[in-house]
Amino acid sequence: MAKKQSKRTIVGSPLTPVLLKELGALNEFPFTPEDFKPDGNWTNKYRIWTCHGYRESSNENVGFVRLKRIPESDKTFTLNIHQEIAQTDDITNIIDGTIKCRNDILASPVQWNLSSSFKDANRKHIAELSSINNGPGTKSIDGATGDWCLFEMVQRLAFDKQNSLSFDLLEGMSLSKPSHRLFYRGIYPIKTNEKNISLHCFVQLGNGILPYEYWLDTRHRLLVVTSMNKAYILDDQAEKSIM
Amino acid sequence: MNKSRTTKQSERFVNRRDFIKLSGSAAALLANGTLTRNVFAGRQNLTPKPKNILLIFTDQQHIDTIAAGGCRHVITPALDRLKTSGVSFTQSYSANPVCSPARSAVFTGRTSCETSVYVNGRSIRSDIPNLGQWFSQQTDYETFYAGKWHLPRTYTNNIPGFKVINTGIGGFGYLCDTAMSRACEGFLRNRSKSKPFLLAASFMQPHDICEWLRLNMNNPGQLRYPELAGELPELPANFEFDENEPEATRNRRLGNEPFKGNWNKEHWRYYRWSYYRHIEHLDAEIGRILSALEDRGYIDDTLIVLTSDHGEGMGHHQMVRKSSFYDEAARVPLLFSWPGHIVENKTDAAHPVSGLDVMPTLCDYVGIESPANMRGLSLRAILEGNKGPQRDCIVSEGNSNTGRMVRSQHWKYIKYKDNAVEQLFDMKNDPGETKNLTASSRYAAILTEHQKMLKEWESRLDVPSNIPNVDVWRQMG
Repeated sequence: MAKKQSKRTIVGSPLTPVLLKELGALNEFPFTPEDFKPDGNWTNKYRIWTCHGYRESSNENVGFVRLKRIPESDKTFTLNIHQEIAQTDDITNIIDGTIKCRNDILASPVQWNLSSSFKDANRKHIAELSSINNGPGTKSIDGATGDWCLFEMVQRLAFDKQNSLSFDLLEGMSLSKPSHRLFYRGIYPIKTNEKNISLHCFVQLGNGILPYEYWLDTRHRLLVVTSMNKAYILDDQAEKSIM
Repeated sequence: MNKSRTTKQSERFVNRRDFIKLSGSAAALLANGTLTRNVFAGRQNLTPKPKNILLIFTDQQHIDTIAAGGCRHVITPALDRLKTSGVSFTQSYSANPVCSPARSAVFTGRTSCETSVYVNGRSIRSDIPNLGQWFSQQTDYETFYAGKWHLPRTYTNNIPGFKVINTGIGGFGYLCDTAMSRACEGFLRNRSKSKPFLLAASFMQPHDICEWLRLNMNNPGQLRYPELAGELPELPANFEFDENEPEATRNRRLGNEPFKGNWNKEHWRYYRWSYYRHIEHLDAEIGRILSALEDRGYIDDTLIVLTSDHGEGMGHHQMVRKSSFYDEAARVPLLFSWPGHIVENKTDAAHPVSGLDVMPTLCDYVGIESPANMRGLSLRAILEGNKGPQRDCIVSEGNSNTGRMVRSQHWKYIKYKDNAVEQLFDMKNDPGETKNLTASSRYAAILTEHQKMLKEWESRLDVPSNIPNVDVWRQMG
């Protein structure tokens, strides 16, 4: 019997907003109000989308993250985090909590209270798998920032190729990954829902991660984050993506 | 201590009369595979058994990916910690360098053909117990499994012999390994310390390099991140390949993305750089589990084993992924750590070992007999600094039961079915496997000797008749 030919087409190129549109992962972005202030009070919700590297199959939304920024003073602000990622057989991992950050260029974390918990297919809490992550404890976190903090701070950066930031990454506010850098890459056009818009791109390189690309609109709102086979896509309906 | 536990403990030892009886028939039993050599080691053991066992399983991890082992392209504090606190093997081979078959061998101590898992996505034969089933029956360890299983389902609620912590998203290690390690962290932090556990924490990473290959197949002509130009790892010394390889190997190469996408050398180097980042991602998640183990005071009471199902081509011989008998895909990390009981910071390059050895080693450490017909050996003696088991060779099987690899102390012999081209490499003087010696009459005796080793090995197996190509190997054997 002849071997069955695979009908899957390899994507072949790294994920970008343009490619995500081609793959059907996004259509249009939520409207960014004219008075959007990156250092103000805002909530951004992102769908978490993944890809096996084929155009036709195994591309799916697996969760969402909701970030709420609340200014506290000139010196600090709070990020409220709520992330849900659905696992096989409808188990969901939920990260919930707050990170108090300095109002500096790195959004340096000062203190955080986070929890990881799991719910089964009936949304019943699986108590024995829960854990708490309160920090910073005794660890020095000078010169470090968190991955969720990056979603905030990248919106406050100038679109300027001359600037580059160096820092250590505290992924999930628990895993230390040294020697990261973030820099502005440039401006790229994309057409969504018959509208031509321009996206500004920052790149993050460093230990323990595949490169991250942060895509912002001209009002400095973070619309898309891509890294290897996953994307965070700004979507007001993000919570419904795994319901 | 309850009665059943007392009985199990007492059964771990054998009196002199029984030992003589065993010794008298040992040769025959060993020869037909009914009895494994490690039964003696286990029964003579008077040292304490580990309170807990943590088996860390990685997916597609090249053996040379640990900073403490000399890899200068990665930062791997967790893997370094495991390596320096115990014994690591440099001649450690996958029993079949493909996901499911390799896993079936590690979790049963039987070859992939014997388990019926000769190809991805099959279940282990029901009459062969897996590690969880055997430990549940024979010990008082509670057995847990978290993460990738792939026998047959990648992630599942139902793994015989294990209570399952079912976290994972099929194929997406970049996202799901974090949930798995968080679940293991929760498990370790919340668990009552009264009952011993065996926890298998099975990661998907660095397997996501497969997704990376598909997302980066097309050669862009220039580096996507020019900032990395000065940081990319060099190409391996054995980047070129032998034009006269067996057809199976050639076809495998041509079917992979680098050839479809017409990669240039810089793109190959970028792929290697990316693979190392996957390793670091994995390392951080392993670190989360080790931290929880330490914080809860388990670390000194826990025997930790780390291995992988298969390696990764990484551009050696211009190969990517798995399913080849070249060392890059066939060799895997194998680390054992148990402070105070296993020799610290020892690298063993003397003994060829196999994924098949994991099950008998664990059985030996907890003082129980291995299931019948183990094809591996207990490595306990080596781990404790003593003379290890002597064997002529280890054998690995190929995907779909189409190939065999025999690795002896000095040589590697590779044979594919329906292919006249065999391969023989001098692993001492040509570790990159660049010179096939089969055509040289000087090595005819070595070749014959290894063909004979394979024949003997094949003759001991209990392979179901419905396994494809079983007759090919039986005829050879």
